[in-house]
Amino acid sequence: MSQAAIYVMAAAAVIGAGVYGLLVAGHLLRKLLAINMLGSGVFLLLVALAGRSGGAPDPVPQALVITGIVVAVSMTAFALALLDRLFRETGQARMDVADDDD
Amino acid sequence: MSLALDGLLAIALVVLALQVVTGASLFRSIVMFVVFGLVMALAWARLRAPNLALAEAAIGAGISGALLMLGYRRLRAAGPEATRPGPRSSRLAAPLSLLVAGLVASLGWTALGLPEALGAAGAAVVAAMPSQAVANPVTAVLLVFRGYDTLLELAVLLVALAGARAVEGPAGPADLAIPTMTGLPIVGALLAALVPLSVLVAGYLLHAGGNAPGGAFQGGAVLAAAGVLLVLTGRLVPHPVPGPVERWGAVLGLLVFSALGLVMLARGQGMLSMPGAWSIYLVESAMLVSIATTLVLLLGAAPGLRRGPLP
Amino acid sequence: MTTEASLVGLVFLPLLAACLLWAVGQRAPWLRQGLVWLSLLAPLALLLAPTLALTTQPVVEVVLAGHAPPLGIGLRLDALSLLMLWLVAVVGAGAGAYASFVEPPGSDAGTRFWPPWLLLMAGLNALFLSADLFNLYVAIELVTLAAVALVAWSGKGAALRAAMRYLLLAMLASLAYLLAVALLYAEHGTLDLYLLARGVAAGSDTTRIALALLIVSLLLKAAIFPLHIWLPPAHARAPGAVSAVLSALVVKGSVYLVYRIWFWTLDGAQPALVANLLGALGAGAILYGSIAALLQSRLKPLVAYSTVAQLGYLMLVFPMTATVASGALAWKGVIYQLLSHGLAKAALFLAAASLLRGIGSDRLVDLAGASRRFPLSVFAVGLSGISLMGLPPSGGFLAKWLLLEAAWIQRGWVWMAVLLLGSLLASVYMFRALSAMMATPGDDAKAPVGAALPRPVPWQMDVAAVTLALLAVIAGFASAPIFELLNAAAPFPRVESATPITERALP
Repeated sequence: MSQAAIYVMAAAAVIGAGVYGLLVAGHLLRKLLAINMLGSGVFLLLVALAGRSGGAPDPVPQALVITGIVVAVSMTAFALALLDRLFRETGQARMDVADDDD
Repeated sequence: MSLALDGLLAIALVVLALQVVTGASLFRSIVMFVVFGLVMALAWARLRAPNLALAEAAIGAGISGALLMLGYRRLRAAGPEATRPGPRSSRLAAPLSLLVAGLVASLGWTALGLPEALGAAGAAVVAAMPSQAVANPVTAVLLVFRGYDTLLELAVLLVALAGARAVEGPAGPADLAIPTMTGLPIVGALLAALVPLSVLVAGYLLHAGGNAPGGAFQGGAVLAAAGVLLVLTGRLVPHPVPGPVERWGAVLGLLVFSALGLVMLARGQGMLSMPGAWSIYLVESAMLVSIATTLVLLLGAAPGLRRGPLP
Repeated sequence: MTTEASLVGLVFLPLLAACLLWAVGQRAPWLRQGLVWLSLLAPLALLLAPTLALTTQPVVEVVLAGHAPPLGIGLRLDALSLLMLWLVAVVGAGAGAYASFVEPPGSDAGTRFWPPWLLLMAGLNALFLSADLFNLYVAIELVTLAAVALVAWSGKGAALRAAMRYLLLAMLASLAYLLAVALLYAEHGTLDLYLLARGVAAGSDTTRIALALLIVSLLLKAAIFPLHIWLPPAHARAPGAVSAVLSALVVKGSVYLVYRIWFWTLDGAQPALVANLLGALGAGAILYGSIAALLQSRLKPLVAYSTVAQLGYLMLVFPMTATVASGALAWKGVIYQLLSHGLAKAALFLAAASLLRGIGSDRLVDLAGASRRFPLSVFAVGLSGISLMGLPPSGGFLAKWLLLEAAWIQRGWVWMAVLLLGSLLASVYMFRALSAMMATPGDDAKAPVGAALPRPVPWQMDVAAVTLALLAVIAGFASAPIFELLNAAAPFPRVESATPITERALP
């Protein structure tokens, strides 16, 4: 098993854990944690796969992931602001995504 | 030996991931998430991505963790039931997540066996590096080759801030409860050591990013951490009206990068082209200020900040 | 002004205007008014040079930073992108003008509203110009964040919940998108849509699965049935101008990307089974959305479900490409649907928002007498209904007629039945809305329960709605130049693969 293979498998497991977290969590903060982890898993997959041949490290996926991390942090920060207002207005910080509460 | 290390890191990542999603309390999950980020940084280092390791540690683990922790605290201050973990539902979750993990694993396994791509972007970057003004290929990709991505990413950071303001409503965000013991001499001593050190480290990361691992994002995150420390210890207090530093600081990176790009367009050298190392450092410095300002304002959930009363 | 400068301006003008708005904070209200109006109107002028350029060449490419793909990021303008950019400019101007009366840029609320709005516009323009998968991801995130913030604008619990659901599902879709990007980069080493096209034919199953994943994530973002659940609450609870932009532009961005991937990147390699599946989802959307719209008791949710239905038409192009002739017709049909639905739906949301504002409630029973009290708003509803129902000479009619013709040539009776049924159902729910408005209020009409206070509706807001609706209605007349544009760079008939820039030659 090469180094890339180890991390690819780890990435798959992390992605699975993220999906599990997203489905199982009722609290929105937990959902955010799960989504962030999902993102980390996908980034790991991107860089590990790109480096599978073991040659010189490819700077493009690294730059893409740095961009991705900043985008993820922006999303998290905004989601937290939204969550805060949501809780202050409705007293609820939990959500079942499949709910249709029209 | 080295593969054993990778194996250990991989196992640690998976275990931590499971800890995050099955943690007994929200607080525990957030802490595990920060640790997860730090182990990820180690994994990036192992994958020969030091810039990425720095970014993950500073932004992915540090800033994200701080955001989540402060968000958690704000919820708790708003109402104690806000953070109680609730009943777990969904018998579908475990099989579905196993299915997804399995699919991704098999896709990844197949992809591992694919031949290296011809004419890949990465090879083109490496080939173009000798003619570039900076030696760090990741910085070159971020600022020169894919500068448009970086510019749009700065816009995403700004829209997160602008969106947070829009969502908070006319009354503004809720107060961040500051701990009461911030007048202790040890706090003052800690700040006197950490804050200047952070500024120094941020400046170093910025400067070093041209030819060694580092860059504006990593530096900006470190500076933001110093800023948050000041907010949490009451040295900077939230203020409902943003001052000029907060207002111009948040958009400086976008303004400088765009202005330079437009000037280059007007001179016929192509939008967003970088005429030399000076332009890269100029843009990165502006970006550092913006990233730090935006992150501090987001973390502090404050439209503006003023110097607090001395303890 | 050169074409390149105009295209750059489309993204950078709203972007820099948003930055300046943010930087001046609550000072200089006159400057803020000016910046917003400039950003609303300038795109209409900026698009003239590129439109002229496209009459002489099928594609305009902008090389950023002097580096073309695969090293850099490609910006590419063809007929499809140009038409979408026009839609953004026109709907953006109309809805923006409307919004400037609700949240004046010089006001305190305006300092919080307009930066996200302008960033949304910048993101949309960036999306329609970009040819790089990762750049598209960043543009999509920009659009999504801004849109979610604006959905949550009212601060009411229901709107906040709708915004949160939208955000979570959008983030999930983005991660699926990135997963596909990871697989594609691993195999092909490039993220340029057109360079990828060359590798797809020789590509392995991994490529096909990655592209399928990409399309699924985009379908979730485009709220195509059955992945539509986030759309009705979000579009119904957003402020009127925001709903207009969401239904007319934001979801269309994702559909546009599905078209790019299907017709340009997957060029020639599209599996028939998947095409029929996409068509079936479209049919499901049309039927489900229309019936759900019929069952609504309030106007804005009715309009939101109508969006779900009308988006279904856009999926019908995939199964209708069995012959070259039917494919060309179906392609023109869905482009027309993209454009006329955008105009009509924006107008409808603006008019609905006016009625909500003027009456204080948008329950259908409370709308009685609206035709006398708010004639212009009801007129706008009627006009947009003409296009949505598919009555001549509107753009909606032309779109549905072309799709019917395509189905006929192909002997696709199921699709024909779906199209006819869809138009019938649309007529029913539009008539239901209009007759509610034309009804005379009964003598025992009480004030609407739990309603907001009625507020005056400035005539300019109604003019914005009527203008957009009129454009949708007369769009049928403008078909000749649009079809000429489309013929130059249509995927039907395909003669050769996507045209690469000279600099893109692989080493």
